Amino acid sequence: MMTKIKIGIGIAVVALIAAALLWLKSATKGDYVDFGAEDAIEVTPTQIQSMKAIGEWEFLSVSAEELVDTVRKGLFKDDELVRIYYGTLRLGLNMHQVEPGWIIVQGDTVTMTLPKIGLLDKDFIDEGRTKSFYESGSWKPEDREVLYKKAYRQMLAHGLTPENLQAAEANASQQLRNMMQSMGYANVKITFKE
Amino acid sequence: MKRIIALVIVVILVIAGLFCCDWHLQSNDEDGKDTLYQAVDTLPMLIMQVQKCSKLYTAEYRVHKIITHDDALRLKGSFLQRQFNIKMPLADRKIAIPMDAKLKAYIDFTQFSEKNIERQGDKITILLPDPQVTMTSSKIDQKNVRQYVALTRAQFSDAELSSYQQQGRASIIESIPRMGILEQAQANAAKVLVPMLAEMGYKEENITIAFRRSYGPKDIQSLLKIED
Repeated sequence: MMTKIKIGIGIAVVALIAAALLWLKSATKGDYVDFGAEDAIEVTPTQIQSMKAIGEWEFLSVSAEELVDTVRKGLFKDDELVRIYYGTLRLGLNMHQVEPGWIIVQGDTVTMTLPKIGLLDKDFIDEGRTKSFYESGSWKPEDREVLYKKAYRQMLAHGLTPENLQAAEANASQQLRNMMQSMGYANVKITFKE
Repeated sequence: MKRIIALVIVVILVIAGLFCCDWHLQSNDEDGKDTLYQAVDTLPMLIMQVQKCSKLYTAEYRVHKIITHDDALRLKGSFLQRQFNIKMPLADRKIAIPMDAKLKAYIDFTQFSEKNIERQGDKITILLPDPQVTMTSSKIDQKNVRQYVALTRAQFSDAELSSYQQQGRASIIESIPRMGILEQAQANAAKVLVPMLAEMGYKEENITIAFRRSYGPKDIQSLLKIED
């Protein structure tokens, strides 16, 4: 008799445990635990600081990627920061620099005296596109500013070359000649100021 | 006897292998040092692309934005169908990155031809191609970057900072349609071309600078020329 009671209690306990496990499984279905931080940024509204009319005529664009690095010597190991900067040097004419009488028409002949071809804008690096390539050690914003200046100098040295300035001048002549000829002027003379 | 000889050969091979391995490791270290010293100086430029064009930039906008990121560590999840989101104590990281950018609108004259010009006696009409907008530069104001990092957390890495800056740049690009830069570009194009045509002998009242149509915020998505 006692044995049957024990068996009955055992079966009841097992059934209860099974029921509890089934309930727990259904109650925790879809549960999850995550530990970490979010990557998304918040931004303030874009503020327009200034707007102005310009007259920059670009005839050659030089897009550059520069890999720039800096090394800090340490006692046991060196720290290194390597970044890739992107920028576009725009070469052409600033039409606000033309002088009165820069374009003269005589019959079917147009004579244009243009300002010197140069870099249209000194701000040419798109730092927002910068990619981090390698970092060891801890670096401050001032170090990144130094790297930016280094990339700036490199892009100028590689992009603002006499060859590129000549190519921009040649293309300016060709484009403006085409434009004047499409306006009906057969002879177009173009000179650039020294 | 054969077993002893085989055992000796195996031991010799193992010792020789270890020596070789050690020598190779040392050799790699030396190579690594060489590479490191070469890398100290500026690395070479990756790519340079030169392209001929004929673009008249007529409007320039300077914009400013502050990118912020609150990097608090959180324990999130759900238990028994109940959501929880607990901020971990002493694990805050915050950063604010001021960013300036320059946007310019231009008219591309590359395909300009006699089809764009109509002349009737003393009157001239120039039909210009659609204006386009590009971001010509952006700059992080490194001096005014502010960051607060709790003792239990690591500093922001350069890769994280670059990612936030790229998101900030994308956010500026998203806000371009609300700036009215295309309308400015159209109006300013006349300011450059009318004096040029006047110098050529046309009276200002006889000059018309026209576009295919007026452009609104809806058009700007197709007229944005932003490099990735």
